[in-house]
Amino acid sequence: MNAQRFRNALVDTLLVGTVVLLLLFFYAPIATLVAFSFTSSRVLTLPIESFSLAWYGELFSKPDFLPAVRNSAAVAAVSTLFATVLGTAGAVAWIRYRFRMQAAFRALTFAPLLFPQLLLGVVMLLWFSVLGSWLGFSNGLFTVIIGHVVYITPFALVVVAVQVYGFDETLEDAARDAGANGWQVFREVTFPLLWPGIFSAAIFAFLLSWGNFYISYSLAGTARTLPIFVYSGIAVGSSPIYPALATLNLVPALLLVVTAEVFRRRALKRQSSGNPAS
Amino acid sequence: MKIEVKSWKDPVLLAAVAPLAVVMIAFFLVPLVMTAVLTFQTTQYYRLAWSWDLKIWTEVFSKPHYWTIMLRTVVMALVCVAICIAIAFPAAYALATRLKTFKTQIQILIIFAFLTDAVLKTFGWILILDKNGVANWLLMHVGFPPDALNLLFTPAGTMIGMVYNLVAYPMFTIYLSLVRIDRDLVLAAYDAGASRLRTFFEVTLPLSRPGLYSGAVLVFVLSLGAFLEPKVLGGGTAPLASELIRQSFETRVNWPLGAALTMVLIVTGALMLGLSSAFALRRRSAPGRPA
Repeated sequence: MNAQRFRNALVDTLLVGTVVLLLLFFYAPIATLVAFSFTSSRVLTLPIESFSLAWYGELFSKPDFLPAVRNSAAVAAVSTLFATVLGTAGAVAWIRYRFRMQAAFRALTFAPLLFPQLLLGVVMLLWFSVLGSWLGFSNGLFTVIIGHVVYITPFALVVVAVQVYGFDETLEDAARDAGANGWQVFREVTFPLLWPGIFSAAIFAFLLSWGNFYISYSLAGTARTLPIFVYSGIAVGSSPIYPALATLNLVPALLLVVTAEVFRRRALKRQSSGNPAS
Repeated sequence: MKIEVKSWKDPVLLAAVAPLAVVMIAFFLVPLVMTAVLTFQTTQYYRLAWSWDLKIWTEVFSKPHYWTIMLRTVVMALVCVAICIAIAFPAAYALATRLKTFKTQIQILIIFAFLTDAVLKTFGWILILDKNGVANWLLMHVGFPPDALNLLFTPAGTMIGMVYNLVAYPMFTIYLSLVRIDRDLVLAAYDAGASRLRTFFEVTLPLSRPGLYSGAVLVFVLSLGAFLEPKVLGGGTAPLASELIRQSFETRVNWPLGAALTMVLIVTGALMLGLSSAFALRRRSAPGRPA
């Protein structure tokens, strides 16, 4: 029995160890970047002799990265809006409705998820170039936005679909029985119940767009987003301003995730206090 | 779950389906068809010529150079699948069955790392894997000779980057199929006298197969398009298909060639997808499977 217990403990330790190692693996490059952004030395090697904010100062003394930040923010905001709305509508159609050609609709809206981003970018680049030569436009931020919407909407759809799947439709029936019309049911019952899923989908979408390199790189033309800016910078040579820039790039993402977590906890608390039965 | 049968005449259905369908058709399906069409054209003086012939395809099929790189890409993708599954399965299993207290926090940490800009993470790996980088520094301090690892600008460096960027996908799919397993089935196996190990191999593992298959296929198709990793971490020493595609667009300005190479990758991915789903379906309907 003792041997058995020992074996179980060993398995538990191994399993938990895998997760810990995996987290270390995930955060090793991110932590390294952040650490190096605070070095006072010009070369990016260990040991870091002293810490300073010199490279942040350097970064802001020559703010040629700001247009890239603006572009990234604009692209991410617009793509998030479209991807979330389209993804939510699509998720409802995926899970709750049955209609002719639904299989085709599902395949069409899921397929971009199965595409390497580079290929997705190339395929759209070809199309926009042909279209551009016919209609007389060249690639820029709006083609990046279209590319992001195509790439990100399936992610948003999956995230919302999980919420739709666990949806208790008797609440809608109850509202309808109480005399609410279709729009009222949607506004007062359906939407609030789906909101946690929609909210996570929006955050997911924003971060995917904010950090997207491949599709922006293919479709941006001469415009630059932050990941493209960093990519061309590390290709030129690893100046310590790039870790600093990279660290700053993490800040909005971190803020979003923390806000989302606070909201989720508050919603959870409200749910458990307002509805003791569940 | 209430399911409503809707006709296409229903405005609600139209509002839910039409905008997304239009976007996907106009900017995903049509571009795919366009790419296929472009492979039958040629270029003259760096400009596209609508010639409708098989010149590009004969070029693609007659140059062994392309096929070496394609083969390397597929081999790298398969190795990446094997490593990713080997890491993702125990991690997903631990997350689904152990670690109850910190589950949400760990999930958020994983999602956050997953959603962080790939360029930044790849850049971080350069700083770690470099000859004077963090990894060698750490190894030196535990007694290894200096420059113990020389992974940057090698295929191993590429592989680390690919696994890093893709391992979260199978983790999610496997985790989702593990948490859907009815706990009663596992308990029933214990009641019937099965050991933990036997229960794992005869109940848990077979039931997590959908997650395993879909995770493996996702890693495979996505790693076919790996671009940053071979370029930045592999240093271009062993180029993969993505580099070939980039060159045909940027350096050689030969769109039909780039389109044809893209189609080869897409078809490879689609074949793998079809093969594995056929395999999964056959396994499901195979006789003698424990119900």
